[in-house]
Amino acid sequence: MRKVGLLIVITCLLSAMAIGSHAAGVDSSDSSEYLIKAGFIYNFAKLVEWPTTAFPQPDSPIVIGILGNDPFGATLDRIVADKKIDGRGFAVKRVKWSKDFKDLKDCNILFVSLSEKDHIDSVVEAMKGLPILTIGDVPGFAKRGGIINFTLEDNKVRFEVNVEAAKHADLTISSRLLTLATIVAADGRKPE
Amino acid sequence: MNLKDLSIKRKLMLITMLTSGLAVVLSSAGFLIYDLISFRQSLSQDLMTQAEIIGYNSAAAMAFKDESAATVTLSALQAKDDIVSAVLYTHDGKIFAQYVHAKASSRTFPAPPQERGYRFEGSNLEVFRDVTLNGEPVGTLFLQSDMRQWDSRAKRYAIIFLSFVMISGFFALLVSSKLQKLISGPILHLEDTMRMVSATKSYEVRATKFYGDEIGRLIDGFNTMLSEIQHRDTAFHHANDELQTRTLELEGEIVHRKEMQKELLNAKHAAEDANRAKSAFLANMSHELRTPLNAIIGYSEMLEEETHELGKVESVKDLQKIQKAGKHLLALINDVLDLSKIEAGRMGLHLETFEISPMIEEMVATLRPALSKNSNTIQVHLADELGVMRADITKVRQILFNLLSNACKFTDHGTISVDVNRSADQGEDWIRFQVTDSGIGINAKQKANLFQEFTQADVSIARKYGGTGLGLAISYRYARLMKGHIAVESEPGQGSVFTVHLPAKVTPEITGTTQAEKTSEVPAASPEMKSNLDTILVIDDDSVVRDLMSRFLTKLGFHVVAAASGEEGLRLAKQVNPLVVTLDVIMPDCDGWAVLNKLKADPELAEIPVIMVTVVDNESMGFELGASSYLIKPVDRDRLAVLIEKHRLTRSSTVMDAKAFAASLRNASPKKEIGREKETATRNESKTVVPVK
Repeated sequence: MRKVGLLIVITCLLSAMAIGSHAAGVDSSDSSEYLIKAGFIYNFAKLVEWPTTAFPQPDSPIVIGILGNDPFGATLDRIVADKKIDGRGFAVKRVKWSKDFKDLKDCNILFVSLSEKDHIDSVVEAMKGLPILTIGDVPGFAKRGGIINFTLEDNKVRFEVNVEAAKHADLTISSRLLTLATIVAADGRKPE
Repeated sequence: MNLKDLSIKRKLMLITMLTSGLAVVLSSAGFLIYDLISFRQSLSQDLMTQAEIIGYNSAAAMAFKDESAATVTLSALQAKDDIVSAVLYTHDGKIFAQYVHAKASSRTFPAPPQERGYRFEGSNLEVFRDVTLNGEPVGTLFLQSDMRQWDSRAKRYAIIFLSFVMISGFFALLVSSKLQKLISGPILHLEDTMRMVSATKSYEVRATKFYGDEIGRLIDGFNTMLSEIQHRDTAFHHANDELQTRTLELEGEIVHRKEMQKELLNAKHAAEDANRAKSAFLANMSHELRTPLNAIIGYSEMLEEETHELGKVESVKDLQKIQKAGKHLLALINDVLDLSKIEAGRMGLHLETFEISPMIEEMVATLRPALSKNSNTIQVHLADELGVMRADITKVRQILFNLLSNACKFTDHGTISVDVNRSADQGEDWIRFQVTDSGIGINAKQKANLFQEFTQADVSIARKYGGTGLGLAISYRYARLMKGHIAVESEPGQGSVFTVHLPAKVTPEITGTTQAEKTSEVPAASPEMKSNLDTILVIDDDSVVRDLMSRFLTKLGFHVVAAASGEEGLRLAKQVNPLVVTLDVIMPDCDGWAVLNKLKADPELAEIPVIMVTVVDNESMGFELGASSYLIKPVDRDRLAVLIEKHRLTRSSTVMDAKAFAASLRNASPKKEIGREKETATRNESKTVVPVK
């Protein structure tokens, strides 16, 4: 039985991977779009593992930083409020672009708003080697070295994942997340 | 056929089959049910696991609202034939993704949320499960299985179960049919043996004992019983043989006894013949003796009278002695004759009705001389209203006479009393005569033989008192003849009491032919007939008798005509028409019976009274033929005189009014003979002559 079950799981996984990601049926009206995206961010946190060094203490909150214009308003704060993953709570802060990226490096998740589309490369460069999950709302963000990037397919919120970038950031992304994502590679490379 | 009447063999097999079958069925069924239940359990666990995997795999898709990914995940269930449908619901109960098996017909899905866990709905197994992402619910999964594994497993089990039961039943049948012989074999053998024993009745057969179990003990018991029966059978046969031998012996004994009996009977007949010859001889001898005695007594009486007239006193005494001796001899002969008649069964009863008191008084008067001889006094006590009795008066009188004369004989200067009374006993009247004396009495030994013939109390008594010793024997037999009896009570020296009981009405034992009267018709007396009232015709072949009768009757003043034969008598009777005819019986040529017959048959002579004067003691015959009186030789002359006088008186009145007399007789009792007269003074009113065996 167990074997059968395992077989089924494997089959499911393989088929899911073969089919690739599909768009989720969500309205892309402004408020609902960012509501969904806020939920996605929270769900991403569930399916990504940080190295222990990423947190100063075992119960340190997962810090979500919003770089650039905040499209969520209070939505994201509301969604993650009182939520806990593996004993960790959440903390949301708005960060601004600075030369030393001081604020940015304290984050565990960095949401890069569309307003920061001109600084993508420098942000990616600054984050390189750090265990920070970068989530972009900027087209081509993953291809440029970001880890996850939101896209819209048929007015449904989908996302891309740069597995290579995640590996560099020492983050482990669950296969369950990967089956739903569009896997992309940095420019000039084929996705693995 | 009734189950209970099955043979033991079948019963045993049935029991074995039922028991083993039940055990197999119950255990297999229990096992199968347990297996099916646990299989169901594992099926549900499997489905739960399935749901967990599906939930896990679809959690991310649900979290990221990716319906197509979720649908793809669900379609992986195609590999599982039993899963009919699968549905993913969102938090608000909307269907997020769904899957229906290609072969399934059902398209309806239950509305969530329902209780989490598995449940059996009809033939389906359903599971509701939360879909969680990192412990956080993102939706609900519904799985429905039609449990076809379970169904196919149950069907397979049913086939296996049935074949298993059949195969095990077959083997059980095989084994039980072999093993039942352990029990049924000895029982059947026992039954065979029993049947053989009862059919052949041979008890030597024994049943074979196979095992030492209860049946073995039963067979032992049966064999023991058989031995016992055999033993008894042998004993029985032995006893039977013995019995047969005994029976044969007994039969032999019986044959022997029968021969003996025959011999004894012959001897008895011989003895009886001898006795009869003796009696006949005795009777003949008595007659022979009486004839000369007639002469002796008759002539000595005549001589005495004549001598007395001549005055020769001494001669008179001698003659009286001759007379006395002759009379004693006569009494002896009479007694012997009576006894021989009784023994020969020829003594008849001459029944008549008479007054008791006059008879007793007459007896006492007759006995006066005997009483005065020993200076005894007599007392007579007659009860009031003694009335009449019906009996043979002659025999009653003789009984009493014997008793009284005995009393006189054995009593000296004493008292003799006579008591007579009447009593009722057992519906009959009885007359009791009691004669009491104060004489010498009788001792016990004498009493025992008192009523035996030829027995006097003592030999010496005969010498002292005289007598024949036959009186009491005759009295006793007379009493018995009349269905009465005599008893005696006595002490030596204290006197004796003799008691005679007689029925007041003696009934004849047999009514014989003697009553048939040949001459019932009374010839009408002819008015012209003139009787010679002073002539008496004497018919006797014995000249001595004729002579004595003539002399005696002439003395009384009658004219006597004598005839020496019957023919002559008849002729003379017609000739002289006498007052009375005296008739002897034993005569040559024409005997007295023939003469009497002819006299009565002749209308002219029938009126003449006939007095039988004979040695033949057959009163009955005489009366039957029409005789008026019956005297036995030697004749008591006084009585003869009285009779003739009576007839003379009767005839004179008859001649005077013959017509009326004849008529009255015919009216009163036509069966009665006219003018018949017995020697007694009492007029006989009716007579029955009964011969007694």
